[in-house]
Amino acid sequence: MRIARTLGLDILKEKYAYASDEEAGYISTQRVAERWVRTTCGYCSVGCGMQIGVRGNQAVAVRGDEDHPVNRGKLCPKGLSEHHTLAAAGRALHPLLRKHGKLQRVTWDAAMQTMAARLRDVQKKYGAQSVGVLSTGQMVTEEFYTLGKLVQLGLGTRNYDGNTTLCMSTAVAGYKRSFGSDGPPGCYDDLEQAEVLFLIGANIAENHPILCQRLEARRSGTVIVADPRVTKTAMMADLFLPVQPRSDLALLNGLAHLLIENNWIDHNYIERHTQGFDALRAHVAQYTPTRVAEITGLPVAQLQKTARLLGTARSACIAWTMGVNHSSKGTETVNAINNLALLTGNVGRAGSSPFSITGQCNAMGTRESGFTSGLPGYRKFESETDRAEMAALWGIDAARIPTARGLAYPDIVEAMVRKEIRALWIVATNPIVSFPNLDVLLQGLNNLEFLVVQDGFHPTPTTTLAHMVLPAAIWGEKEGTYTNSERRVSKVNRAVTPPAEARTDFDIFLNLARELGCAEELFPGWSTPQDAFNEWKRVSAGRLCDYSGMDYAAIEASGGIQWPYSASTEDAPQSTRRLYASGQFQTEDGKAKLLCTDWEPFPEQPSEEFPLVLNTGRTVEHWHTRTKTGAVPILHNLSPRAWLEMNPRDASRLRLRAHDKVDVVSARGTVRGVELRVTEIIAPGQVFMPFHFAETNVNQVTQSAFDPISREPNYKQCAVRIEKTVEHGSRRA
Amino acid sequence: MEVALPLPLLERSGDGTDFVILSQHAPIARSSVGVTVCDFGTSTGILDGTDTLHAAESNARIPAQAPGPGEQYRFHFDMTKCIGCQCCVVACNEQNGNPPDLHWRRVGEIEGGTYPNTLRSYLSMGCNHCVEPTCLEGCPVDAYRKDGASGLVLHSADACIGCQYCTWNCSYGVPQYNPERGVVGKCDMCHGRLNEGREPACVHACPEGAITIEIVNIAQWREEYAQGANAPGMPSADDSLSTTRLTLPDALPHDTDKVNSDRVRLEHPHWPLIVMTVLTQLSVGALTSLWLASLVLGARAVRFPALFSLGVGMIALGASTLHLGRPIHAYRALKMWRRSWLSREVLLFAIFAGIACTYALSLWQQLPGAALLGACTAIAGASGIYASSKLYRVPARPAWNSRNTTAEFFFSALLLGPLFLLALPGSARLWPLRALCVAVSCTLLLVLVLRILRLTQSQVWEKMATASLLSTRLSSLLIVRIALGLLGGALLPILARDWASGWAHGWVLDGIALLLACAAETIGRYLFFVSVVPKNIAAAYLGHTEAA
Repeated sequence: MRIARTLGLDILKEKYAYASDEEAGYISTQRVAERWVRTTCGYCSVGCGMQIGVRGNQAVAVRGDEDHPVNRGKLCPKGLSEHHTLAAAGRALHPLLRKHGKLQRVTWDAAMQTMAARLRDVQKKYGAQSVGVLSTGQMVTEEFYTLGKLVQLGLGTRNYDGNTTLCMSTAVAGYKRSFGSDGPPGCYDDLEQAEVLFLIGANIAENHPILCQRLEARRSGTVIVADPRVTKTAMMADLFLPVQPRSDLALLNGLAHLLIENNWIDHNYIERHTQGFDALRAHVAQYTPTRVAEITGLPVAQLQKTARLLGTARSACIAWTMGVNHSSKGTETVNAINNLALLTGNVGRAGSSPFSITGQCNAMGTRESGFTSGLPGYRKFESETDRAEMAALWGIDAARIPTARGLAYPDIVEAMVRKEIRALWIVATNPIVSFPNLDVLLQGLNNLEFLVVQDGFHPTPTTTLAHMVLPAAIWGEKEGTYTNSERRVSKVNRAVTPPAEARTDFDIFLNLARELGCAEELFPGWSTPQDAFNEWKRVSAGRLCDYSGMDYAAIEASGGIQWPYSASTEDAPQSTRRLYASGQFQTEDGKAKLLCTDWEPFPEQPSEEFPLVLNTGRTVEHWHTRTKTGAVPILHNLSPRAWLEMNPRDASRLRLRAHDKVDVVSARGTVRGVELRVTEIIAPGQVFMPFHFAETNVNQVTQSAFDPISREPNYKQCAVRIEKTVEHGSRRA
Repeated sequence: MEVALPLPLLERSGDGTDFVILSQHAPIARSSVGVTVCDFGTSTGILDGTDTLHAAESNARIPAQAPGPGEQYRFHFDMTKCIGCQCCVVACNEQNGNPPDLHWRRVGEIEGGTYPNTLRSYLSMGCNHCVEPTCLEGCPVDAYRKDGASGLVLHSADACIGCQYCTWNCSYGVPQYNPERGVVGKCDMCHGRLNEGREPACVHACPEGAITIEIVNIAQWREEYAQGANAPGMPSADDSLSTTRLTLPDALPHDTDKVNSDRVRLEHPHWPLIVMTVLTQLSVGALTSLWLASLVLGARAVRFPALFSLGVGMIALGASTLHLGRPIHAYRALKMWRRSWLSREVLLFAIFAGIACTYALSLWQQLPGAALLGACTAIAGASGIYASSKLYRVPARPAWNSRNTTAEFFFSALLLGPLFLLALPGSARLWPLRALCVAVSCTLLLVLVLRILRLTQSQVWEKMATASLLSTRLSSLLIVRIALGLLGGALLPILARDWASGWAHGWVLDGIALLLACAAETIGRYLFFVSVVPKNIAAAYLGHTEAA
């Protein structure tokens, strides 16, 4: 055949032939499926409905679900190539245990026994709380619910958190403070229906491209985008506000001031459904247009225009993502957003909501059911009633339920540095690339006596450091549910079996529970995710995130059901639901809180030594730390490496040119050899770099600064200098 | 159920033997509307007769009717809607089962203005299904055709021999060579999906509705295309009358340009073509020189050199087939001599080889008419070189598209031919040949320097980029090339003459001169191939695979 190919007799006609797939139509024979499995995308939290085309045990194609209410048949480039993740190179295939310094293959039984023994051993030596667990936003809700019980009640440690703290914990904290509970009030229809859509710190064109359909579908009104960088999303704006880095809170307070001053507020709503108006009015009075203009860099006229648009709109939706969350002032910024929505009465109506667009496919699921920063069902550790309710549901002594949350993610890392946490179990996340200020994390990990990493891929920068690696099934290989940003619970299905010895996270949790001897008590008779779902339904009943009316078949049939959905919910499963339509909030008096928040400069201001502000973010082709998308050849090909954006004025001052290799240097470390992009996308004085790439890991230079309430890292601003990379062999003196 | 099919396919004109008409294998069951479906360019695709047709009425992204007379399909790309999400690129690759580094649809980025009034726009492009497709016009094997009913420019992998000439002719970089297959492939607007009433993969995948299919009246478009088909970051639509209609943002900043303009990569060197062009030119030059010499010295004196020259020519022609993805089908390249300069080159060099063989035989056999045959050999060879040079002079490759290319090729022949003759032991070593070598090599280098100067002064970005490559990354090679050219082409031939009776045998020096000159020409031709910067659409800022 080789000769036939060289001569040109063979042109691989079969491989490159076309055929007609019954459902997908005329398509490459490589993509023709024998059956299609409905599921939900496993990357971000938009929650696109899709189908996996399967031939044999091979996922050969994917396609968007035409009738799905979220994505209407469309998928982003990651979704369109998602089947390639399943058979990708670098999947974790076997349980591995470090022996004599090397990771070596062991049986599952040996792995589970060793894991249980080593964790118990550490707890015996250093106390129950010396074991930490870091999970993710990417398992199914059933697994989050199971893991939460296992960790808190079985393993008996409170020090359990997820990478959601690097992501959405700020929105959680903000919602709790303003409305008395987590739970995004709005939905995607609001993006389409709002007369004024205000996107702040949300580059949806890059990060949630399928939501851009909603912007495209808008017939009238105004889209306002606030971002320090001229993002792809800024290109979709009718009014673009190029704010100074981290001036968002000043902007929001300034807008609140202008709204009140000009009487563009809903007195009736404020009176009936909020508390704290007078204090807020007095507080924001100091955010005069002149002062806010100075902080944000926006002209006064633009502030007034923005306030007028927001204040006089019939409906306004304020949506945000990481630009707001990744901030040491994030929670307060969310509260300031909520203030604007409350002041203008834009909560719970069509087109009217403060709306956090979530990151990971099931960050919402862990927030609802996960037992990390709260008890399952948005219950509070601090509430005796909530604890008693949980104890009754579980049939356990209420004293076993912690009265306060354990350490949050960054505090677990610091506890590792202080040698208070001595064993760590990491599930489906890759902190070596995603956690800020890498050196501190490395120091913490070095102090551990036992590190287990459970992941779908190996090697990753994190699994290579582990004492034990557990191979896990990924999206496409397991069953359960995801909740998307708009509270829509969607079904996730298994299309193919996991490779080699990889197992679902659910099975691993049950297996460990058996080894720990708590399986019978915590998970009696459980064998499938459905068992967890059934219990979770009971646990969620009557809560804001009520699942009790749902079942797998109904979820599947309606393309996802938005909670709250109890047995007594009267409207059709697929109906749009918003929270707080009645104006009743989850606070004690039922009123939302208008909170006074204060702008402060970001923690690390540029200096003579580090004169530039580094902003970090994403690109559409990649997901998080690229363990998946880096293994999908087309995505890697489209975006093979990191770059650093710099304004031409800075570049010419530093005598740097397009495509030069540069080093990014901060007080904490250096990222070497990043390709420079000289561009007017970025303002003078600022630089931008994507965080996906382990090879040029921007988190070597980011800082350990965290929101005091949500504990979310301040990824978006730190002070750096940029130097031309010195090539090998020509080191400077 | 009556469904209006947008694309009543495809009547194959000409012999059609290379195209598999699917209806012969598995006719699609839409006979009620009289449709025959052809999988143009692939052979094993089977359209299931029970397939449910997605009727076009449910959306406006594809036309409900087929093009009428004087009309064709085209893409409409709305730049104001595109968010650069790459969905179309991924969907296209999935649809066609292409390797990850081959993109029939690509998304480029253009940028203009000053922060914060920056405008970033994206340009998504498959094939423009041009009114005057340059890919088709250049194809030596007639692998392309413009479908009569749909106006689509379709390519047949079966007919293709992998010469890649279309990839040089298209200003947009649309046809792409697939080394795994040895043939070219390109966007066919998913005509198989259009047949089923479905949207092409890119159209369907776009979350913003930025790509749609329209019907265009060709005569009208000829009047209007200049406004509709041009954009910053796109080569001029004049080259081939692109049919893609572009909707641009209202106020593109005046400095809007492709973001990848600072990233210029070296093109493929095409080693078989370097060998082929240099050696055919040597062979033609040598045979022409020895024919002239034979007029003075007689036939016997040149019979050995004739044999060697002929041998070199044969090696050159053999080497050229290694360039092809399908060498076994090289003979097909003769097919389109009425239209393609590549076919003409192959034909003329084949004639040259034939006559040269006869000429060599006549010299050996002392046949009458050898002198006339020699003249014919020279004329055929020169015609071959001319055709050879013409095929590189394509608008899509501005640095090649000049009389300089023709001049360079002829100068190479005029230099290497005589040097070859001088270096052959026992051959006629005539002083006029030496003088010719010296004069030619000096002129050749002068022409080269002038060419680079002209490229530098050009306002055409691609030419400037070529000049920039030659004066930066390729400058050392350029200097070596000039030095070797002077040494082998001018200095040594003079020295060899003066020292012929001295310390060394002249032919040793002449041999060295030939080697150096061949090296110089080979490097020169390498630079010719790698330094050309083709016209193309805007690309992404980062190169996809090559290290920056």
